[in-house]
Amino acid sequence: MSGPRSRTLAVVIALLLFAGPAAAHITPPVLLASDREVLTSSLAGARKFFVREVRLSDAERESLRRQVGWKPDEDFYRFYLGRNDAGALVAATVFLSEFTIHGPVRVAVSLGPDGRVKDASVVELTEETYPWVKPLIDQNFTQRYVGQDSRGQFALGPRPGDAGLEGMTQFYGQVVASLIQRGAALYDVAFGKRAAGAGGTARPRG
Amino acid sequence: MNGITLSRLPLSAKVFCSLFLLGIGLGNLAALTQAATAVGLSPRDVQASLAPDAPMTHLGHGQMSAEREINLAEVAATAKVWIRTPLLIQTSHTHLFGQTLIAGLLGLIFLFCSLGDGKKTAIVALPFLGTVLDIGGMWLTRFVWPPLASLVLAGGALFALGYALITTISLYELWLRKEARP
Repeated sequence: MSGPRSRTLAVVIALLLFAGPAAAHITPPVLLASDREVLTSSLAGARKFFVREVRLSDAERESLRRQVGWKPDEDFYRFYLGRNDAGALVAATVFLSEFTIHGPVRVAVSLGPDGRVKDASVVELTEETYPWVKPLIDQNFTQRYVGQDSRGQFALGPRPGDAGLEGMTQFYGQVVASLIQRGAALYDVAFGKRAAGAGGTARPRG
Repeated sequence: MNGITLSRLPLSAKVFCSLFLLGIGLGNLAALTQAATAVGLSPRDVQASLAPDAPMTHLGHGQMSAEREINLAEVAATAKVWIRTPLLIQTSHTHLFGQTLIAGLLGLIFLFCSLGDGKKTAIVALPFLGTVLDIGGMWLTRFVWPPLASLVLAGGALFALGYALITTISLYELWLRKEARP
């Protein structure tokens, strides 16, 4: 190969590779659904949509820690609300994350006006955690918690087959279940107890 | 360096250096693809993933709650990677080690090229500086000022520039440079 051709080839290869790392590097995520996709499904039946952002007091954070063993650390939490034509709450959806050593797990929890879980789904994982959680997603296991309020049983089992799940699958199943319970507890604190404290009903209309 | 130059290396060493440089290049392409699909390659994309979540309501400092009506069209229709602090810590530690190691091995090969020491010093420093700017830019975007997301891209580009120069010069000297006869 002649000198100029070889030099050209080397430059082309280098330029091709030049663009490589010119961007942020992150742990590869697995995104299962966008927020809008989740809300379109979880707030189905609503005619109007609202966003309510809630900042927790120290007492409310302590209450959550005692109730479900969770120390909320966000500045505020965002609920997406769906209401019917009369203004009554159809459902409220909140997105919550847990950061594990293998990356974040993000879950959408939808709650009815009574504070019970209406729907829940895993929306974000990482490439590392996805194979562990996939068997549970395939079982649609988040639906087990539909109908429960924050005082329900949020654990894997005692269903047949749960004991045979791989250890990491059980671990992440528990992580997801805990996130769903946190969503329910957060709804209780941010909506139910505040409304009751203000002289309203325990379960507000939103 | 000390009489050893890339052009004088034995064939086995030349093949080793070349395959390493090309392998890192392929890794760069994979990193670009992953970043483009997961985050995006514009400062706005990087800012959206790294900056703290801003309220959608008029929730002010010290205010306990706020509410407003929205259209679902305001909510992101595309799945977005939101890099929060724990993920930033995780990403920082893996990439600071990984990229510094890559920069070190690239530099180790490059030290044996026949450029003058001034040029060599400037080029060998680029991947290291790019790494610091890249990861440092992520933290500055999250905690200081969101528009500093441009630093993340600048850092990545600096790393890439260093890699491109090191690879181009090294491959040239490994395979094309003719030693002057004494």
